[in-house]
Formats: sequence, C-alpha cells, structure tokens
Amino acid sequence: MFLRTSSRKGVKCKMNDTGAMIEVVDLHKRFKDLHVLKGISTSVKQSEVVAVMGPSGSGKSTFLRCMNRLEEPSSGHIYIEGIDILAPYIDINRVRTEIGMVFQSFNLFPHLTSIENIKLAPMSVRKISDQEATERGMALLDKVGLVDKAKVYPEQLSGGQQQRVAIARALAMQPQIMFFDEPTSALDPEMIGEVLDVMRNMAKEGMTMMVVSHEMGFIKEAADRILFLVDGLIVEDGTPDQIFNYSKNERTLEFLSKII
Amino acid sequence: MNPMSATPAPKNKFARTHPGWSVWLRRPSVTALSFAVLFAYAFFLLPTKDTAPPFLFYLSINLFIVLVLAFTGNILADPKKPEALKMIAALLLIAVFCWLFYRYSGAQWGRLKDFFFNWETLEGNWWILWQGLEVTLLLAFISGIGSVLVGLLIAVLRTLHSPTLNFFLKVYVDVFRSIPMIVVMVFIFFALPFMGISLGSIVTTILALSLGYGAYASECFRAGIESVHSGQLEAARSLGLSRWKTISKIILPQAFPVVIPPLTGTLVAMLKDTAVASIVAAPELLKRARELYTSETNPTPLVAAALIYLVVLIPLVRAVNVLENKLQKRRKV
Ligand SMILES: Nc1ncnc2c1ncn2[C@@H]1O[C@H](COP(=O)(O)OP(=O)(O)OP(=O)(O)O)[C@@H](O)[C@H]1O
Ligand SMILES: [Mg+2]
Repeated sequence: MFLRTSSRKGVKCKMNDTGAMIEVVDLHKRFKDLHVLKGISTSVKQSEVVAVMGPSGSGKSTFLRCMNRLEEPSSGHIYIEGIDILAPYIDINRVRTEIGMVFQSFNLFPHLTSIENIKLAPMSVRKISDQEATERGMALLDKVGLVDKAKVYPEQLSGGQQQRVAIARALAMQPQIMFFDEPTSALDPEMIGEVLDVMRNMAKEGMTMMVVSHEMGFIKEAADRILFLVDGLIVEDGTPDQIFNYSKNERTLEFLSKII
Repeated sequence: MNPMSATPAPKNKFARTHPGWSVWLRRPSVTALSFAVLFAYAFFLLPTKDTAPPFLFYLSINLFIVLVLAFTGNILADPKKPEALKMIAALLLIAVFCWLFYRYSGAQWGRLKDFFFNWETLEGNWWILWQGLEVTLLLAFISGIGSVLVGLLIAVLRTLHSPTLNFFLKVYVDVFRSIPMIVVMVFIFFALPFMGISLGSIVTTILALSLGYGAYASECFRAGIESVHSGQLEAARSLGLSRWKTISKIILPQAFPVVIPPLTGTLVAMLKDTAVASIVAAPELLKRARELYTSETNPTPLVAAALIYLVVLIPLVRAVNVLENKLQKRRKV
C-alpha cells in the first residue's frame, strides 16, 4: 500500500509477516561521527501503547523520527504493517499518512486557522472535498474539545489548546499509528492534563501509539509497555509494573529516582 | 504667613540641582522672542556680500547659522512641543539655508536655468519621453516577473540541499551579483552575436535584468525560506505532504512577509537599472532623453527624465512600505 504508484505493479513487496504493526530490526543512526542509535530492535502490536523513556540525548526523538524517516536511518529495517519502508520503491509520503506525529513544540502552521491546519493534509494529500474535510475536522475538534476555536489562529491559543489542535491535525489523516515526542513537556503544568486526557481517550479507542514522555501517571495508566532507552540502546522492555516496581537495571533505577 | 510656604519642601533626590537652561529656553515666550530676534537679525543685521569687511562678514553669517541651528534644535528636542510646530521649524530651517545659499553663493542662476530648466526645449517632445517611459515600464514589468521566477526557482532548488546543485547555484548567484549590469548587457548584446546568438536590445535587456536581478531575488527568497522554523517542515512532511506541497502551502506563505520588503527593494532597484539599457539602445526613457539632449543640445530633457523617474518611483517605494506594514501587522495578529 505504500508503493510508488508508478511501480506498484510487478514489484514484490519485502514482507515480514509477524503480524506486528511496527517491527524494527537492528536500527542504527549515525550523524557523521556521532553514533546515536546503536542497533534497536523491537516490535509494536496493533493497539499497543508503548512509552519510550530514557535520559536526555539517549536518542528517543531520533528513534521516533527514524520510523517515519524524518531522519534517514543509517542501517537496519523498519516494517510498518509488514512492509519494509526503507525499500527503494517505497513512497515515504504514503507511509507518513499512516503515522501521525505530535511534536514537543506543537508546530502548528501559524498562517492557518485551527480548522485549516486540520483540513490541509486531508485535502491536498487525500484529495477529499473541502466540505467533507471541514466536517471531519470539526468532528475532530469536538473530540479534543475545541470546536469553538475552529476559526482561531494558533498564536491566540494556549499551549495546551495548540497541542490538542496538533493532535487533531495528525488524526485527520486517519493514521494507523501515532507518535508523540514529549507532547507535554513544553506545557505549563495546568495544561498537561487536558492533553493527556485526549491521549488517554485515543489509547482507549485502540490507537497504536508510541509516546516519548516522562509523565509517570499517564504511563502507568495508559501504557502497555515501556521501552527504556540509554545511549541508543534499549536497555529494558517491559510493562510499567515490571519496570517501575521490579527493575534491577542500574541505569533505569538511577533515571527513575531522578524523575520521581 | 501661609504655614505651608514656611516649611521647606522635602529634599527630593530627583530634583534638578540647577534651574535648568533648557526648561527656561523652552518656555513659549522665550521661543517666540528668540524667533523675533533671529528674524530681525536676518533682515537688518546680516551683511550683504560687499558691505562688511571679510572678518565681520564671516563672523556674522556663522553666528547667524549657529543661532538658527540652536533655535530649531531646541524646538525639535523638546518632547512637549507639538509635532506641527516641529515640522514648521524644520521647514523653516531648510528655507533659511536655501535663502542663505541663494543670497551668498556665486551661482549663476540665470545660466543654470537656461541650461537645465529650459522647458521650451521640451515643447512638442513630451510624447517622446512618454514613449520612453512606456518602454521602461514594460521592460521593468517583464524583467520583474522574470527575476522573481528565476529567484524563486533558485531558492526552491536550494532547499533540496544537494551539494552539487548548490555549488552551481551559488556560482551563478555570486557571479551575477558581482558583475555590473552594464557589463552583462554589453556582453549579451555585443559578444553573443559572435557566438551566433543575436538578440534585440529589448530581449537583451529583459534577459540581463532577469538573470541579474534573479540572483538578488533568490537571496531574498532564500532568507525568507530560512526564516521559517524547521519544525514547520517536519510537521508538514510528517503529515505526508510532498516536498513541493510543503514548499507551496507551508513554507512560501510563511516566507512571504519576510521576503516582500527586500524583494520589492530589489525590484525597485531593477526598475532604476532599466536605464542601463540605453547602452544597448533600447528605446527606454533615458535613451529617449539622451536623444533629445543631443538633438536639442540642451540637458533639460535629462532633468525631465530624472523627474519622471522620481514621480514613478516614489509612489512605488511608498506603496511597498504600506504593503510591508500591512503584512507585518497581519503576522502579529
Ligand atoms: N540532526 C542532528 N544532527 C546531529 N546530531 C543530532 C541531530 N539530531 C540529534 N542529534 C544528536 O543525537 C543525540 C540524540 O538526540 P535525541 O534528540 O534523539 O535525544 P533525546 O533522547 O530525544 O533527548 P531529549 O530527551 O533531550 O529530547 C543527541 O546527542 C543529539 O545531539
Ligand atoms: Mg527529544
């Protein structure tokens, strides 16, 4: 489904049918001399919510960004729904429509209103009509509780509101997977809750999610698994209960003691 | 008697330690009086050219200039004086200097007028200048579109971040920004025919201006594009927007307000540079004025051309400014 339209016929997809939504095999990323990801392998099932934790600079953002190729991985394999998205015949824009991404700094388009932010991609990528896009967009704004802010420009919104619009914008493409890169760490404390509520609802509705976050309450409640990343390697992989209560790993314990 | 006046005012550490000359000088009565004194000085005491010995003559004039400067400076520096008064003072200052120059310089006003402001030479020739202006505007319009397209193309290609491509684009931009426009035109017009390419003067001008000012325009666009935060690009790409859609729908609309001021400045400079086309005999305004200058053996047509350039360019420059402010405001809302 991600093939370039021109070469769709006759190309054998490299499949990896483990049934996982995301399968990462031995992923490496180097920035010149800096070896940031040093062989990450993991898999995420449909509807699973995976929290990614780890100290600053450990490569969490880079890991997420490699998975939709905002950064080009240096080596390894990434399978989304079984399809190798690093293969040359892949149209990465089609992959990205399946993966919504939410950023720490919101990155709303400042020259567009909330609803225009949401409508833009469905209309210009999926080619749906203005009317349909508006209807869907309003439904999404309703979902994040911001119908009344549809015609407002981002800079007139609070941080929490901006982030909720950003989530609605990502959802407008009806992605299978959502990535969150520290979605609440640029927010004032009183606004964190409203964003986490939206994310919690998405998790309940069965969205496959990878969330870089240090919000312990949210992770304990909503995450099925935690990946603990240190220096570009996954040092631990387990349920929140296992990691918060029974971890024996020194680096994990040290990190957890700092953030609690 | 009044007990209040008997008690000394409490010591104020912000109070002036001396009465303050400027406060006194700025009192309306003092301002009016000094104006009257200056006026009288100008009319009755300023020597005419030969009536005073040189020493007194220069002393008197210089003293007058110093007093006038002090007087207007005092008005302009007073935050409490109304702007209208300041404007009058500034205009008065200019008028006084013109008057002094008129009175004391050795200028030959009559000959100056005969040479440079001999409007009779233009009688029946206005339409020639008008035709020239039409050609100038046409050249500017087409070359303006050309240079915007060239600039946009280069800037967009540079966002591909291909080192090889960038190398050649940079060479292009640097070369065209370093060569004087006149050289480009002369080369295209006089040298290219030796390579089998003969272009008319109009085409030469449009080509040279588009290529040359395209290089400048590309820098304007590049600065605008670079001013857009990289997060915007990432957000757009992560939504599945193609590179081209990202540029056209996300980057350029945000770059536009940043690009407008320098780009319009560049285009206005280009409009002025259409005058260089007279070197390749494109029948634009300056060329027509020079023809008249030769046929009438009088430079008044050149002065007229200069005035026409002014009349055309000043509103443009103003309009650009207004547009700029509007865009800036919309971005702030
Ligand atoms: N584009 C880049 N070029 C060079 N180095 C980079 C680039 N992006 C990230 N890095 C480096 O890669 C390392 C990992 O960065 P990354 O942003 O993935 O860390 P992180 O775990 O997300 O940290 P944080 O918690 O601070 O966000 C850092 O040392 C960073 O300096
Ligand atoms: Mg990060």
